Amino acid sequence: MNQVKLRQVDEYRWEIPREGKMRTRGLVFASEAMISKIREDQSLQQVANVATLPGIEGPSLAMPDIHWGYGFPIGGVAAFSLEEGVVSPGGVGYDINCGVRLLRTNLQRSQVECCIEELVNVLFANIPSGVGSRRKDLKLALPALKEVMRQGAGWAVKNGYGAAADLDHIEAQGCIEGADPERVSQFAMDRGKDQLGTLGSGNHFVEVGYVLEIFDEKLAAALGLFKDQVTAIVHTGSRGLGHQVCDDYIKVMLRAAAKYGIELPDRQLCCAPLNSAEAGNYLAAMAAAANFAFANRQMITHWVRQSFEQVLKIGPRDLGMELVYDVAHNIAKIETHEVGGVRKRLCIHRKGATRAFPPHHPETPAAYQETGQPVLIPGDMGRYSFVLVGTEKALTETFGSTCHGAGREMSRHQALKVAKGRAIIRELAARGIVVRGAGRATIDEEISEAYKDVAMVVDVCQGAGIAKKVAKLRPLGVIKG
Amino acid sequence: MKPGVAAQRQAAKYRQLPHTADLAWRIRGQSLAELFENAAGALTATMTDRRYLRRRERRTVELESPDREALLVDWLNHLLYLFDVEGFLGREFHLTSLSERRLKATAWGEAFDPERHPEKSAVKAATYHHLEIRPWGDGWQAMVILDL
Repeated sequence: MNQVKLRQVDEYRWEIPREGKMRTRGLVFASEAMISKIREDQSLQQVANVATLPGIEGPSLAMPDIHWGYGFPIGGVAAFSLEEGVVSPGGVGYDINCGVRLLRTNLQRSQVECCIEELVNVLFANIPSGVGSRRKDLKLALPALKEVMRQGAGWAVKNGYGAAADLDHIEAQGCIEGADPERVSQFAMDRGKDQLGTLGSGNHFVEVGYVLEIFDEKLAAALGLFKDQVTAIVHTGSRGLGHQVCDDYIKVMLRAAAKYGIELPDRQLCCAPLNSAEAGNYLAAMAAAANFAFANRQMITHWVRQSFEQVLKIGPRDLGMELVYDVAHNIAKIETHEVGGVRKRLCIHRKGATRAFPPHHPETPAAYQETGQPVLIPGDMGRYSFVLVGTEKALTETFGSTCHGAGREMSRHQALKVAKGRAIIRELAARGIVVRGAGRATIDEEISEAYKDVAMVVDVCQGAGIAKKVAKLRPLGVIKG
Repeated sequence: MKPGVAAQRQAAKYRQLPHTADLAWRIRGQSLAELFENAAGALTATMTDRRYLRRRERRTVELESPDREALLVDWLNHLLYLFDVEGFLGREFHLTSLSERRLKATAWGEAFDPERHPEKSAVKAATYHHLEIRPWGDGWQAMVILDL
């Protein structure tokens, strides 16, 4: 395999020097211990490939949870100028607005320990997950589906799922501007119409947990977190609708790249100039799919609340389940950033990376103006997750971006081999974690060993100054697709 | 059927290759048509155990794509579409016609039933990553990576 040249800049930064067709350098955030593992797949080559795309501003970035994707690596961040740059569906991913939200409650761990198994079972019953998850109780007609795509989480709130106050705690207020359902194919809408309010499969999950450790008391208090507090995490995306939008536009972009004479080191980097019709159409469709995902997470939250209230026999006020924050980690956003002292409008691709804006940023919600935007970093189902906030350093170095999760280290095939003969569910139960999955293979593929240690990933972000640790969460019960 | 011979034949049709986050299939076929049929089989095998699917329903698929590799990806993604919209999973496939850019095919199978069909991995899409179709021995070989 071609060894990509890597130059260590400091403890947490590694540079891929600009050479050949690269228009800029690559910058990988990682620790020394992680680098040899990172070298084992082709992710570094992918970072270098992204650097060849026209109009790229700043370096081709990679977060410490980097792993091999298609075209762009997972954990990749790349910014493009609106005048000279491109947009690429591969830089967003098939699961448009796959993202994650953190919910907090008034409850202490001791108040739910009695009922974790029941809670997991009720969540499992209320939230369709796994292969072919679809809702029987909610079938959207096309006009309603189009409203979902136009309004995002706002549609869910209007229809009784959660409160208007939730919208202030969602990235982009749960609705990306410029969404146009007319740019979404009939195929995509057909795939998505029965899937709103479902988890899907793969590494999607709903997790009940508690705050294990607080790293910064002041920040934690501002986020409404306290030690032993019961929390819930929802991780899912735009389901079949988003996947189809991506597939549809990859076809468009393959033709567009040829039409506009863009040289591609890899077909999956297919793209179009941001000032082209193709780019405009993709961004409008992507926003529509992203809004579907925001609505999805908002609705699933409704059933999480209901499940808690049902099992614990308490009302909403005692439960106090509130949204801390909801972030996307597969998305392209038009944002204003300072590059070389000049403020520019850029198209930021974050594929397996999370926005992490600092205190006092206009897009950081009012409630978090003093703390910075909350970031939730889910780990694997057997270990822990982290709550962070964004920093100034992230804004200046990574276009306000940080990691998104643990990142896989082992193929599913390998994971199944490692899991063979073991009773994973029982192993986790012995450690106090109840897991319910739609299929056995899903659980086995998702064992902890298949993932990087998210603590290491988060420590790199913290060490590099592109995020600040607030709290560590531990799972109690998980439903997996 | 004797496990040895059947397993060997099965192993030749499609085989998983290592990939960190997604699923890479190496597909083989004596003819291109068989290659496409086996690719569809690999897709179903990702999602469930084909042996439990009955040939209750039939679907016909007609597609056109810019080139042969894109046609393969589009074929698989169309089958995913049928699954998402109708729950249909194919057990057996027959390419009635196949050219560089067009195909016509029939799939026999039934709607996914979680009570009867084992759940394996859901697939988001067939991707263009490392996509290739090339001659192999007397027949053909393809590599397709599925986004899970």
